[in-house]
Parts: sequence; structure tokens; C-alpha cells
Amino acid sequence: MDPNLSNVDFRDFWQLAPATVLSVWGLVVLLADLALAGRMSAPARRRAIGWLTLAGVALALLAAAGLIQVQQLAKAETQGTPGWLSPSLAEYFSRAGGAIFLGTLSADLQTGVLNVLFIIMLGLVVWQSMAWSFTEDWGEYFALVTWATVGMMLLAASEELVTLFLTLETMTICLYLTTAFEKTRRRSAEGGLKYFVYGSVSSALFLFGLSLLYGLTGTTQFESIREVLASTGPAARGLSGNVTGATALLLMLVGFGFKIAAVPFHQWAPDAYEGAPAPVTAWIATGSKLASFVALMKVFLHALQPWSHPSNELLGPGWLGVIAIVSAVTMTYGNFAALVQRNFKRMLAYSSIANAGYMLVGVAAASVSTRGAEAAGSVLFYLVVYAFANIGAFAVAAWLVRDKKTDDIDDLNGLGMQSPLLAICILVLMLSLIGIPPFAGFFGKLYMFMEAINQQHAKAWPTLMGLVALGLMNSVVSAFYYVRVLKAMFLREPGGSRRLGLAGGSIEIPIVIGTLVAIFFGIYPGRLMSVMQGAAVSMLTTTTSTSGGFASMISAPSGTGYAPLPPAMASAPASPKSTRLDPEQAKKYADRMKKAEAQAKALASPGAQPKNAPPGEAKDALAKKAEAQQEDQ
Amino acid sequence: MASDIPLNWFLYFAAASFSIGLVGVLVRRNAIAVLMAIEIMLNAANVNLVAFWRYRNAPPGAGPLPGVILALFVITVAAAEVAVGIGMILLCYRRWRAADVDRYDSMSG
Repeated sequence: MDPNLSNVDFRDFWQLAPATVLSVWGLVVLLADLALAGRMSAPARRRAIGWLTLAGVALALLAAAGLIQVQQLAKAETQGTPGWLSPSLAEYFSRAGGAIFLGTLSADLQTGVLNVLFIIMLGLVVWQSMAWSFTEDWGEYFALVTWATVGMMLLAASEELVTLFLTLETMTICLYLTTAFEKTRRRSAEGGLKYFVYGSVSSALFLFGLSLLYGLTGTTQFESIREVLASTGPAARGLSGNVTGATALLLMLVGFGFKIAAVPFHQWAPDAYEGAPAPVTAWIATGSKLASFVALMKVFLHALQPWSHPSNELLGPGWLGVIAIVSAVTMTYGNFAALVQRNFKRMLAYSSIANAGYMLVGVAAASVSTRGAEAAGSVLFYLVVYAFANIGAFAVAAWLVRDKKTDDIDDLNGLGMQSPLLAICILVLMLSLIGIPPFAGFFGKLYMFMEAINQQHAKAWPTLMGLVALGLMNSVVSAFYYVRVLKAMFLREPGGSRRLGLAGGSIEIPIVIGTLVAIFFGIYPGRLMSVMQGAAVSMLTTTTSTSGGFASMISAPSGTGYAPLPPAMASAPASPKSTRLDPEQAKKYADRMKKAEAQAKALASPGAQPKNAPPGEAKDALAKKAEAQQEDQ
Repeated sequence: MASDIPLNWFLYFAAASFSIGLVGVLVRRNAIAVLMAIEIMLNAANVNLVAFWRYRNAPPGAGPLPGVILALFVITVAAAEVAVGIGMILLCYRRWRAADVDRYDSMSG
């Protein structure tokens, strides 16, 4: 159709190595289960297939770590390329920065770090699944969990709306199915159906909003949407000046609201959490939430950022006011509803709703701020800390269901006497979830709320302060229901006809690892925080300040960046790397830019100069590009 | 293109069928009917996407995937959702002997 359309570079598949390994491994697991089905009993198959899946997880972890290593090695020009890479691959990795597959996916440190996190969490979830036999179809179960992870990894890497929608569906369809996997229980099927109905309605709402946004901007690429939206005057932006835009934005917000379980779109969450087998609940509460939040931040803080507060008023015509209200309602409702719950998983579901509210405070802060990347990084930090604590907490639920067949809070009675070490681990997890100082949960909340308070935006400050105050009060409320768990464990006598047996490795290990993460990042929060801020910098490609020390390691935005950044966003200093560009590499870089810009006709004509002076590296590249074109002619 | 059907007509049609789908999801109690209503919503979005693609004025650097490609993918996604949805409804039907979503209320609070 379009002769200028550039071809896909198939070496891009190397950048997707972890996702590829997991997708293929899902098939391997299915086949192995098929082969073993006739010969082994279901519990034996559970262990065999579980270990096989863990082997795949280890392989994927290796691929992800190796990929980061290769990317960093290839970027560090002083060391030269490692000998074991073929020349064509070495050349590919040395110039690959940011976008792959024509700019539809990003492959940089952000995706690398998130991939590693997703894979580690998948490992814990798989391990936890091996605790007891809640189903007989182990091959299908493990394959679906693995493919859901593939969806999450690609969702967190997506750079445009088509990829975003497809990966979101890949993730959630796999999760619908695994929710209904506990065949002996009614509530599992019910939870699965409710999750499915709410989830697919929200997908349809999201898709309709997406189609309107596509109509408004003519593009699906985040960067390009941002440029188009930013190029209109303030009057045409936001919710009041533009009915179609407002509809699109609100529909997309509703879609994401369902995925992250924000009030008033939370109804599915308690039922799905209670109904699903505990490992699946853990995966919905952590992996799916992490991936959805990353996607939400990419769409709202990157693509739709020009519409956040166009008139500089917080409750003016922008999405910021909506997010602020949703955030306030979500954390308050979640915490108060959790107070009255008796089922442990249902309580955690409401606590997860409340946590979504806290994280939306961080999102709101990131959208007004000049320190957007830091604020987004603090949300990521909170998500990671929350995710590991929750995987541990759901392992406790798995333990209860396995031995007592129910998972009420009262079933924990007397655990402190029975297995004191694990009870202390659970104590740490709960204290971290409340946000008590020595543990990581405290620093997660601290960083996020500090970012909200530190915004120097005169009009936004009172509202953000109000949100932070509400968040702190809510943390106090949340202490009550977490303490009920501790009270049951330490102050009550064991009761009931069934007793908890020995935990076993598959339950101990997630609890212990969750505890270690809560303690370790409570004592050393700085390192993870800087990694997460670095990840956020490259997540919001055009973000303003890259002052963090880690930012120099981030690849410079490229590929999708076809036009100069708007002047307000142009304060980012050129990364040290760009000053060291020798002509040969600059030319390669310029060629790459040119490929990505094949359609940029305005810029492609030699006479047309960009309106705004492009900053640092982009400027160099544009100049080199013009030269390269003249050489071509 | 000048003699084509105006873009607005497509948008009115899509908005109307989307609303019909949404009302269907909220009002109908039969699980199969809810599933059909969801399909109507997805297809309304498809009409939008294809119409916008036909009439679009793409900015430079619009990316390799136009709306019509997404519409094709959405058809696939919709098929997957139906397969999963029917499976879930059958699972629930076996337990409750009813396909009525209001009956599935063993959990609440």
C-alpha cells in the first residue's frame, strides 16, 4: 500500500527472548501433560508439570537477564562488542535503542527490569500452585498462567494502542480461565464468570474509547497521539471543550478502572479474588495489577498527558480531577469495606482495591509535576513492594484452603503457637502492608506521598495535599483489619476440627521471599527506588527531568520520536552517550531515525526545518539525517 | 470519497449500537444474552475504527498499524472471548442448572 513503509527487522525477535521462551514453554508444558496424563495420578502430575514449568521460568529468567546484559554491553562502546555475538547481531544491539517492531514495542531497561520482576513473580506463583491439587488439568493450568505472563510482559512493553489492547486481552483471557479452574467448588466458576463478564465489558468500553481517540488523532502511537493533542490550543483540550475527546478519555479511564479494580468499577474483584484458587488470586492481584498500572501510566501520563490539566486548574477541564476523585473514593471505600470481611482472600481483595487508590495518588502527582518520572517511579516502587507482600499473603490463603478447606481469618487462630517462624514472617508482611516504618511498605507510601506533597504546582497542591491526608488516614484504618489477622494468629487458641499441617516448601518459600523483600527493601530502599525511577524515565519517553543518577544508563528515546519535543519538555539534557557519538555511529543512528520517519513527509523535505529547536541528541540526529539524505541524492 | 456516505453516519450508527450493547449488558439477565450484547459493543467499536481509518488524516509518524488492522484483531479477540465465555457459562450452568446471572450469588459482601 505505502511504498515508504519500512520493513520489520527480524532481529527484533531477539529483544523478545523472554516472552518467546515463555510462550513456547507453555506449549511444551501442554504436550508433557498430554504425554503423562494416562500414566500418572493427578497429584504426581502436579509436581512433575510444576517442576517442568519452573524449569521454563528459570530459562526465561536467564533469557531476560542475558538480554539486559547484552543490551548494556552493546551500549557501552568503550568495551567493544563481545566476541560471542555475531557481527550482525552486535551491530544490531549497538544501535537498537528503545523501540522495536516499527515502534510498536519498547525494548529497553524499563522492559528488562519489569520482565525480570514478572518472571520472578511467576516463579513464586507456580511454586505456590504446587501446594495442593485444586484441579486435574495441570498442563492447561500452568500453560495458561505462563501465557498470562507473556501478556503482562508485552503489555508493559507496548508503545501503541493496538499492541496494548491485544496484550491486555491476552493477559485477561488467560486469567478468566484460570480463575474458574477450581472444579470442585461452585464459587470458582462463579468468580470466573463474574470476572469474565465485567472484564470483557470493560474491554469493550476501553476499545470504544480507543476507537474515538484513534479518530481524533489519526494514529495509535503514544508519542504521536501526544504530539497531536499537544498541538491543539488549550481551549480544544480536555473534557469540557471536546465532547468526543471527553467520551474517549472517560471510556478509557473506565476500562483501566476495571482492570486495576478502582471504585466504582471494582465489583468483580472481591468475588473473583474469593472464588479463584489462591495462586491465581495472587497473580490477578499482583502481576495483572502491575502490568495494568504500567499501561495506565503509559497511556495517561504519556499519550494523554496534554489533557491532564490544560487550564492549570486541578478540577478544571482535564482528567486529573477525575483521577483525584476516583482515587479518594477508591481508597476510602476499599479500606472501610475490608473492615467487615471475614474471609481472608476477600479482605485482601478490598485491601487491593484500597491500594489501587493509593497508587492513583501517585499517578495524579506524576501528571502535574515537573518531576513526573520520579513520581511514576515511586508508583512502580510501591507496586513492586506491594506485589511481593501480596504473593506471600496469598500463600497463607493457599495454606488455609489446603488444610482447612476454608479460608476465613478465624482459620488462622493459634498459628503463632503452632509455627512461630512463619507466623513472624506473616507479621512482617502485614506490617509492611500497613506501612510500619522498618519495612518496605512504609517507604513505598512515603516516597509516593512525598512526591505528591513536593509538587510545586500552586493550584494542584491543595488537592494533592488533601489526597495525601486522606491516604494517611486510610492507612490508619487499614491497620485495623490487618491487625485482626495478627490477633487471630497470636492471641487466640487454635480451634475448629481441622488443624493446619506443616506448610511445606511450596507455601513457605513465597511467604519467606515476600518477607525478605519487605525487610531488605525496607532497609535499603534506595537502590530499588533508583532502578524504578530509571525505569519510569524510559517508560514516559518524553518525560521532563532525567536528573536521577541512573538516567544516564537509560537509552535515549528514539524510534518513535519523529519530531522535536515540545519546548516545555525539552529540558532534558542530552545523555552523556550522545556527546561521544563518532560519525560512523551517528550515521547509523540517523539512518535508523530516517527509517522510523519514512512517513514524516514534512520533515523529510530538505527545506522544512522543525519549528522548535530540538534538544540534544534529537537535534544531532536530525542534522545528521539531513546530511545523510543529501548524500543519498 | 466525496460521494461516500458521510463519516457522521458511521459514527451515529456505531454510537447507537454501542449504546444498545451497553443497555443489553445492564438489563438482560440471561448470560448468553449478555455475551451477545458484549459482542455488539465490540463490533460497534469496529465500525468506528474502520470508518475512521477510511476517512483519516494521519499525522506524520502515525505508526505502522492503522485502525483497520486493529479491527481485524478485534474480530479474533471477540472470537476468543466467545469461546471462553461459552465455556464459563456451561460450567456455571452445570452447577446451578440456570443460565441466569442473577442466580450466581453464592458470594456477597
